[in-house]
Amino acid sequence: MKFLITDLLELPGEIAEVYRAVTPQDKVCCCTGCFGCWVKTPGKCVIPDGGECVGIGLSHCNELLLISRCCYGSVSPFVKAVLDRAISYLHPDFVIRDGEMHHKRRYQNRLTVSAYFYGENITEAEKETARGLIAANAVNYDGTVGEIRFFESAEGLEKVIL
Amino acid sequence: MRIALVNGSPKPTGSASGILLKHLRASLSGQAELVDLALHSDSLPDGVWNTLQAADSYVFACPLYVDGLPSHVLSCLVQLEARQTSGVPVYGIVNCGFYEGEQARYALDILKNWCVRAGCRWSGGIGVGGGGSLAALAEIPPEHGPMAPVGRALHAAASHILRQEAFENQYLSVGMPRLMYRMAAQLGWRKQLRANGGKRCDLGKKWEQNRL
Repeated sequence: MKFLITDLLELPGEIAEVYRAVTPQDKVCCCTGCFGCWVKTPGKCVIPDGGECVGIGLSHCNELLLISRCCYGSVSPFVKAVLDRAISYLHPDFVIRDGEMHHKRRYQNRLTVSAYFYGENITEAEKETARGLIAANAVNYDGTVGEIRFFESAEGLEKVIL
Repeated sequence: MRIALVNGSPKPTGSASGILLKHLRASLSGQAELVDLALHSDSLPDGVWNTLQAADSYVFACPLYVDGLPSHVLSCLVQLEARQTSGVPVYGIVNCGFYEGEQARYALDILKNWCVRAGCRWSGGIGVGGGGSLAALAEIPPEHGPMAPVGRALHAAASHILRQEAFENQYLSVGMPRLMYRMAAQLGWRKQLRANGGKRCDLGKKWEQNRL
C-alpha cells in the first residue's frame, strides 16, 4: 500500500494501487518537539488532531510518496508538518547505519520514499538539496529511495500515474 | 551593528537552540546590538518582520527535524520570503539529536536556498551533533569539557558575524564519545518513560490501530 502526503487539496493523478493519503483537509498541526510520541505514548503522537496516527499509518505501507511544492529544496510546510509528526514510526533508540547514527526501526515494513516536487523555476541547487533530503529520509527510515521528479506546476502531475 | 538572533525551536523555554544562542550571544555581547526573536509556531509573530528589517544580520537557530527544517520554521520562511531583503547576511545554527553534526547539512542547504529567494546573503552555518545533551550541559561554560567543540565553533562564528563575513559550514559533535552519548540518550528515554508511568518494554510498542 502507498502512503501519500500532499499539500494539494485533490490528488493530481491516477493512482495505480491501494493507498492512504494525507492532504491539507487533514488539519495536521506542527510538531512541538515534546517527544511524547516516544516517552508518553510510544509509537503515537500525543496531539489529538488526526495527525497522531501518521506514524502508525506508515507501518502499513511499502511506499511513502510525497507530492509537494518544492520550498527551497524541502517539501512544503504542510508535508513537512506531517513528516515531523510521524517520527513515532521509528523507535527512539539509536543504531549506527553507514557510519551515522539513526533511529532503530519500530516496525518491520520497508519503505521506499518517493517524491514529486512541483513549482516554478526550481533551481538546480534546490533540486540537489531535495534529492539529498529524500535520500537522507530513506536512510532514516531504513528504507530505499524511489523516484524523485520535478514538475513546473501541480497541473504537470495530472498525467502521471502515481 | 544590530544582529537578530532568531530562535526557531518550537519550545518557548529550555531548548537546545536557546542554549546555543545564549553562548553565541556571550561571544557577541558588547560588540553589537543583539535582538532576540522567536519563531515557535507556524505563523510569523507580529513585529518580527519590522525587527528583522531594522537588523544588519540574521542568525537562525533551530533543531533538525526529519533531516530538514521544522515545519513551523519553513512556514515562517515562506512568509518572510515575500518581504525581500537586500543582501542581509544570514547565518544558521542547526542542532540535531544524532551525534554527527553533518546530518544538519540539508537543513543548512535549505536555509541557503531560501536566502537566494528572499534576497539575503547566505554566510555560513554550524551543524551541531549531540543536541540532545545540550540541555543537560547548559550550565557548563562553553569553553570547557563536552561543550568545548561547541563553544569554539560559536566563538569563531561570532567573529565572522561581527565582520559580516561568510564562512564555510562547520559540522561538529559535542565533546563526548558517540557510544557514551548514545547510552546516555537511551537511558534518558527510559527514565522519561518511567516518569510518565510507562514501562521500559513500552518503548518499542507496535500499534495496529490506523485511524487516519
